[in-house]
Amino acid sequence: MIDFTPLDWFWAGAFLLLMVGGAFFFYRLARRSESDFFLAGRRLPWWLPASSVFSTHTATDTPMWVTGVIYAHGYRGLWYTFFTAWTAIGAFVSARIFRRSLAYSQAEWQVMRFGGFGAELLRGWLAGWQVFMNMFILGWVGMAMGKVGALVFGWPIWVGLVLPTLITAAYTLVAGYWGVVMGDFLQGIVAIFAILIVSLVGIAAVGGPTELSGRLVEMGEGWRMDVFAFTGVFSGDFPIAWWLTMLVIAVVGGFGMGTSIDWYPEAQRIQSAGSVRDAAYGIWAGGAITLIRNGFWAASILAFFVLAPGIVNAADYELGWFRLGFELLPAGLVGVFFAAILAIHLSTISSHLNLGALYFTRDLYQRYLKPDASEENLVWVGRVATAVLLIGSFFYGMMMQEITQWLIFALWLMMAGIWLPNILQVVWWRFNSWGYLSAWMANLGVAWLVVWILPAFGVFPPLPDYLQFWLLMALGAVVFLPATLLTKPEEMDHLVKYYLQTRPLGWWGPVHREAVRRGLIDEGTAHVGDGRVGSAASRPLIKRSWTAAEAEEWTREDWIVIALSPLVMASFMIGVASLLVLRPGGIALTLFAVIGTLAIYWIIDPKLRAVSAEYESRQAQYLDELERGVRWEKASLGEEA
Amino acid sequence: MDQGFVTVIGMSIAYVASFLGMGLAWYGWNKRHQGGEE
Repeated sequence: MIDFTPLDWFWAGAFLLLMVGGAFFFYRLARRSESDFFLAGRRLPWWLPASSVFSTHTATDTPMWVTGVIYAHGYRGLWYTFFTAWTAIGAFVSARIFRRSLAYSQAEWQVMRFGGFGAELLRGWLAGWQVFMNMFILGWVGMAMGKVGALVFGWPIWVGLVLPTLITAAYTLVAGYWGVVMGDFLQGIVAIFAILIVSLVGIAAVGGPTELSGRLVEMGEGWRMDVFAFTGVFSGDFPIAWWLTMLVIAVVGGFGMGTSIDWYPEAQRIQSAGSVRDAAYGIWAGGAITLIRNGFWAASILAFFVLAPGIVNAADYELGWFRLGFELLPAGLVGVFFAAILAIHLSTISSHLNLGALYFTRDLYQRYLKPDASEENLVWVGRVATAVLLIGSFFYGMMMQEITQWLIFALWLMMAGIWLPNILQVVWWRFNSWGYLSAWMANLGVAWLVVWILPAFGVFPPLPDYLQFWLLMALGAVVFLPATLLTKPEEMDHLVKYYLQTRPLGWWGPVHREAVRRGLIDEGTAHVGDGRVGSAASRPLIKRSWTAAEAEEWTREDWIVIALSPLVMASFMIGVASLLVLRPGGIALTLFAVIGTLAIYWIIDPKLRAVSAEYESRQAQYLDELERGVRWEKASLGEEA
Repeated sequence: MDQGFVTVIGMSIAYVASFLGMGLAWYGWNKRHQGGEE
């Protein structure tokens, strides 16, 4: 248990008052419409979604599992956290496409990309999945807070599970997504402050960066400062094959949607951004800050390892970062540290409460039960859904702890079977709703086969994670590719409409040609992805002046940014971590990351500005069609033709 | 209990929610199309 002084209680109490009090400030905004309650009216500047991405990526259990992988693996464990790098490409590809769709949720996007009965089944499928997943995450994260409450105050687990979550629910119910995103901004600042302070105090406790790296070398543990300390190509607990798999999943996954559970909350942040440009920068900056945070965290965990080496039990060393904060910070700052832990918790809980309610309200209640519901009715259903999710998560957290553990691993399997279809639905015009739905169905069957049935009957031994991923992906493709090619493509009218609105990247040639044939696109503009805009002779290497029609195309500038962005994000993460232990290359990598960030901005900003200006002139019409679509009115996006 | 077995059991539980959502979509689609509103 930790001793709290009156000053510590003051800081923790002041933070909570600020959170709950602020909600009533935003109550008037949230009650105006469904769009306000779930998307803050779609007019946020990029830095608010960015702080929300960071805050939501920092859950109560995040310090535990990040500490766990760094304590066990050293700096190479940073690669476990690198899945966030889907935002490197995602910010400039999938986020841009998704923002233009204006879909409230990933489920709604399904009926815009696909059409007819199959698309409706997919919408219901994803909405059901997301209502459940958000309740699951609430229970899972709530349990982590229960454990922190037990560590700090000796509370019974249920107190830590219920009490902070109820406080969060108060401002989420009142202020909807306005409360979530404004809370996330304040919580993000408090969390970053605490992470920086605890990291620096932890390193100082060892004697500084030089002493830290020296002690590690003396202990024969110098390899822990090497992010590339592999154990072999396929052998050991950190093979190159696993690393490459993780890199491909994260980086290439940015071309698609739903590469992991992260996409779904970030989809809401993308839509709440004021423009396509704000959405891109919000997602990119949120991902980059998260990876920089990981660099700071990793250095402090190395310090914890030096201070307390040889802890064998994972449950004990996973609390390392919390111990650094509570045991090393002076009186007064302990209260700030606890406020930061509350901030981390509140931001995650509020996001998932609001997101789960969004899927229930928009995709299930409004679409399938009451399409003609008024805005006032929808806001109240959103509030009731929030409360039901909250209560469900309490029961879930308390009663199903074992199953929660199983589901965490099941998420990995889920990602394996759906990873490729998530990309194909964005980049390949011919992929259809039956292909995507069959991929989800097949994933369950092949997971049973690969993970349990075949190993249990001795056909092959239990496989390492990375082999399971590739095998599940290949077996899934054996089902979804024939299912796609043996069923009809989506209606061309539907595809052309989607293409004109979102201008997707990839293999969309037949749809592009049809749009040209109908006179909807200028024949002179380049075909998707081929980088031809303007004549080769007149075109500068980096074009910085765009007409609206030119900016709609995917060009050389996009591809340069797509190639540069993952390198910049990896350099931020590795550079900061290396800098903090004075490793060679730390300064150079961090410098490269900063210059790379400026270069990305210089290259892509003129184009994003042009795209945003052009698109916003048409957005009101698209929004009108979207609302008619959810009410099943004719000529809607979901069922024209 | 076998780790692989409990994993696929957990995954199957998660799928139940998806099937329920899909069932609701089916109901909504049929209601709209049987009602002659299309």
